Amino acid sequence: MIACTDFIPAYSELFKYLHARGGEDAVLDFWNYLSDNFLGNLKELVERNGILGCWLYWSHTLNEEAADFTMELDEDAGVFRIDMHKCPSMTRLLETRHMEPYPDYCGHCDVLYRRVLERLGYSCETDLSRCKEARCNMVVIDRRRSS
Amino acid sequence: MEKRIMRRTAADNAYRHPDFHGALSNGIEYLDRTYGPEAVREYLWQFSSAFYAPLKKKIAERGLDALREYLEDLYGSEGGRIHVRATDDELRVEVESSPDVMHMRNTGYHVARLFREVTSTVNEAICAGTPFRAELLEYDEQTGRSVQRFTRRDA
Repeated sequence: MIACTDFIPAYSELFKYLHARGGEDAVLDFWNYLSDNFLGNLKELVERNGILGCWLYWSHTLNEEAADFTMELDEDAGVFRIDMHKCPSMTRLLETRHMEPYPDYCGHCDVLYRRVLERLGYSCETDLSRCKEARCNMVVIDRRRSS
Repeated sequence: MEKRIMRRTAADNAYRHPDFHGALSNGIEYLDRTYGPEAVREYLWQFSSAFYAPLKKKIAERGLDALREYLEDLYGSEGGRIHVRATDDELRVEVESSPDVMHMRNTGYHVARLFREVTSTVNEAICAGTPFRAELLEYDEQTGRSVQRFTRRDA
């Protein structure tokens, strides 16, 4: 068994393995597969609750992951935002001194969530410019409210 | 509607997200379907050889006691019950049910066809380069119940 607390290094190594086999396209193909096959709970929550579903989904995952974050929801404006002050996954990778993280490790967050949310009528923008500091943010906007 | 704001620090929660087992299972399934079973074993071997390097060093230095401590912590930390019989040359571990498989079964995540490799290949890779070898004697796909044996290579 691989401990769930050791999953992040396992995930990073999977990206490296796929990259070695087929380059960035092979990694992207897997991220798309994972989005379609693993994020059914996010999709169902947003389909059922609208943008509140984002709040419900990340309330669960970010607390279980012991993240350092601020999360905001403005249902009237149709805007959901996460400011990740210290990402537990990237922090874990940076602290694992005997292994190098996959260089675009954080890219999976953008691909996985955007793929689900854009199909449901939301825009999803992530700023990964500070991901090597384990910081990032994501803004989800209900396009029907903003138009 | 009022705006909602949630602010948390890392100290507010314990780091434990068992849904990650489901993500790993998806990765195993993807490798199996896309690249074949050998890719599953190759990936797990590469990951384990790198990630568990500090554990492998402890096993080489302290023997099976280091592995026993690791496995007790591993299963215990996720609520799994194991029974251990140990001598200097053999460690036999009976896992009643594996927390990763049980979490996926209880929450509806797909358990990959080759998920047993997460036990067998990982154990073999951990022991590679040490005086010990790993065998997965029994494994139940439904619950992850298993019997794992580690023996000294020249015993």
